[in-house]
Amino acid sequence: MAKALEGIRVIDLTVWFQGPVSAQYLADFGAEVIKVERPQGGDQGRGVRSIKSLPVGDWNQYFQVINRNKKSMAIDLKTEGGREILYRLVEKSDVFLSNLAPEMLESWGLSYEKLSAINPALVYATNTGYGRFGGVSKPSFDMTVQALTGAMARLGEPGEPPVYLGMGSGDAYGGIMSALGIALALYQRRRTGRGQYLDASLYGAQLFLAAPYLQSFLAGNQDAALQHSRKAVENPLWNLYPTSGKWVYVCEPNEDANFAALCRALDAPSLHADPRFATSALRALHNEALIAAIEALTLRHDHQALMRAFVAEGVVAAPVNNLADVVRDEQAWRNGYFMKAYCEEVQREVDVRGLPVTLSKTPGEIHCLGPQLGQDTELLLMDLLGYEWDEIEALKTRRAIP
Amino acid sequence: MSRALDDVVVLDLTRQFCTSLSAAFLADFGARVIRLDLPPVRTSSDGRWNHEVDLIHRNKESLAIDPASARGAALLHQLVAKADVIVTDWQRDELAALGIDYAGASALRTDIVFGRISGFGPQGPDAELPPIDELAAARTGMMPILPQPGQPPIYTGAGAMHATVMLAFGVVTALLHRQDSGEGQEVDVSLFGANMYAGALDIQAFLAIGEGDRFLNPISRMDVSNPMSGSLYPSADGRWVTLTMPDTDRWWPAFSVAVSIAADDPRFDTHDKRTETNRLELIRELEAAFGKQPGGHWRQVFQEKQMSADVIERFDYPANDPQVLANRYILELDHPSFGPVKSLGFPIFMSDSPARLDRLAPCVGQHGPQVLADLLGYPQEAIQQLRADRVLV
Repeated sequence: MAKALEGIRVIDLTVWFQGPVSAQYLADFGAEVIKVERPQGGDQGRGVRSIKSLPVGDWNQYFQVINRNKKSMAIDLKTEGGREILYRLVEKSDVFLSNLAPEMLESWGLSYEKLSAINPALVYATNTGYGRFGGVSKPSFDMTVQALTGAMARLGEPGEPPVYLGMGSGDAYGGIMSALGIALALYQRRRTGRGQYLDASLYGAQLFLAAPYLQSFLAGNQDAALQHSRKAVENPLWNLYPTSGKWVYVCEPNEDANFAALCRALDAPSLHADPRFATSALRALHNEALIAAIEALTLRHDHQALMRAFVAEGVVAAPVNNLADVVRDEQAWRNGYFMKAYCEEVQREVDVRGLPVTLSKTPGEIHCLGPQLGQDTELLLMDLLGYEWDEIEALKTRRAIP
Repeated sequence: MSRALDDVVVLDLTRQFCTSLSAAFLADFGARVIRLDLPPVRTSSDGRWNHEVDLIHRNKESLAIDPASARGAALLHQLVAKADVIVTDWQRDELAALGIDYAGASALRTDIVFGRISGFGPQGPDAELPPIDELAAARTGMMPILPQPGQPPIYTGAGAMHATVMLAFGVVTALLHRQDSGEGQEVDVSLFGANMYAGALDIQAFLAIGEGDRFLNPISRMDVSNPMSGSLYPSADGRWVTLTMPDTDRWWPAFSVAVSIAADDPRFDTHDKRTETNRLELIRELEAAFGKQPGGHWRQVFQEKQMSADVIERFDYPANDPQVLANRYILELDHPSFGPVKSLGFPIFMSDSPARLDRLAPCVGQHGPQVLADLLGYPQEAIQQLRADRVLV
């Protein structure tokens, strides 16, 4: 089957999460992604041994999943010989992607000016922490950048600590943002023949994680920056409710018919008859009382019984599932959001995050998980870059490659 | 100056913030995005700045038609025939009723790229459930573990924002394929799938490991796996501090000084002691230490030592951060009706074809005559007649 990005070659000089996941999107759709790694240890993500204090298991799913469908070359870019190899690779490539610090790339002779002089059609993409302009350059990790955006501080009940959106949440967002930028630049290049420089920073992306609320704040709604209690939301019909089992999320507009249906599902004619809740305006006015009243009723049932009643009355709602539920969710597997992939490291099929962007005629695919460090170095040097074997031996002697 | 998508015409048939913003991103990079304002049309704001539409419909044109009439439906089909891309979040049966589901649209324009945000994906038993982000988030498994123990589940809204970018990426990727092959296709991004990637690491870890209470129940910040990474501590002025220094050996010498613990304190002098044996004790020590100074002090310390740590801010911080303005993540603009305002800007920088704000959101129907004239080649009299007959609003 055709692949959308067939024929696009990407140099992936990235580590940890944001950069690798960006290149993963390109690799999933058929780009030839060559991960360039330092010979000693490679991408630091290869060293991840635990997540939340739990051992990752017998295969490193942190590294292997976001580096799937890629090749790996081990090149020491601190050596002259290593840079020569990379320059030759740049001649043959369409995209250069890195999330290393721009100063580091500069010091290795890998600036945009340098690489675009070698290949003017090159799309040169960086993932900085805080953006290309403005002068801030400091270590950036997902959570320390997310901290600045205001996205964490608005979540949680009032008085509770801020809420992190989840491990890697911001990196993943920066990664897809970067993939979008690269696709845009490639599309333009087909018409103009020219490459360009682009940057998708962790900070810039994460400012959009809470875009509706930040935009509201910018328009003067100070309240949008603050924590809000679920006990006081304006529309009690669109809210989280506890049950004797899982929580449920009820998602209904504050209209009379919807309220009537909810009251039927809760078997609560007295609630429906309560004059405090007779109109949508009154329900908004007495929102706290109504939320307390609904909560008292939902707590009498478990989520399964409640969901049966909601379905019967056409009330839109869902139980708040946990990870043990989602990994069994048929809908996720049917749509390829989860997939099976063969893992060389343990010689068996494993379960991985699949393809969240579904293209009907050129679907993405997983043909292999993350590469061994440097597994393709010699082959690519010979087949792609045209090095002779004695030259390769010389590069080894010069410690440009292991 | 050439722009990335300046040969692309997009029809925007969207209701939700996330989908509308996806089309706006395409417009930011030069696509001609024509928003179809179908009845019931957007209501005007109450005299205050409608900040939302000036973000999610910026750089778009608006065409208001009523497809319920035969001539309105014909007009809609003519537009689809001229479009390169449709961006929508309508349900499939609604689109089919207008004759512009993928089967209908691709009959009118064989190489159309049909981008849609669905609730739960194109396949499977729940393919037709409505696209409501809260329902998708609830199903993703992450909500129960985001808060502190004993607290209600957390809905973040970040999944929908993920979907925004994923859809734009999918559409441009499909356009790249079309450039090569002449072939259009369907692009589907679901809120469910997007939410899964918004909380990526925990889900993948649970898939691989298959068990673990720490994935199913919230972890107290007083029981965090690594006291120096992913942790939260209140400072003296109530602002919170967060640390991401997973490699504690590297940071301990400088960090211990900053928090007034002896670097060679035998309780904490190895990574194992800090993150295993005496982990809880270190958390309590750090809780006490950070409480002694205000957030500003800690930011300065982190900056001086180049530590990967920061103070957790509210929206006022990015709104006034020179770094944000320098990178145009937030724009200062002079609104024709409301004067100087700030609005979310552009998360992607491109050197040769940067995103531009050419215009704020259009009024409903503002560009109808123009679109009919220059995209469909209607003569003026015909346009007047369509207006008079209320086909064109």
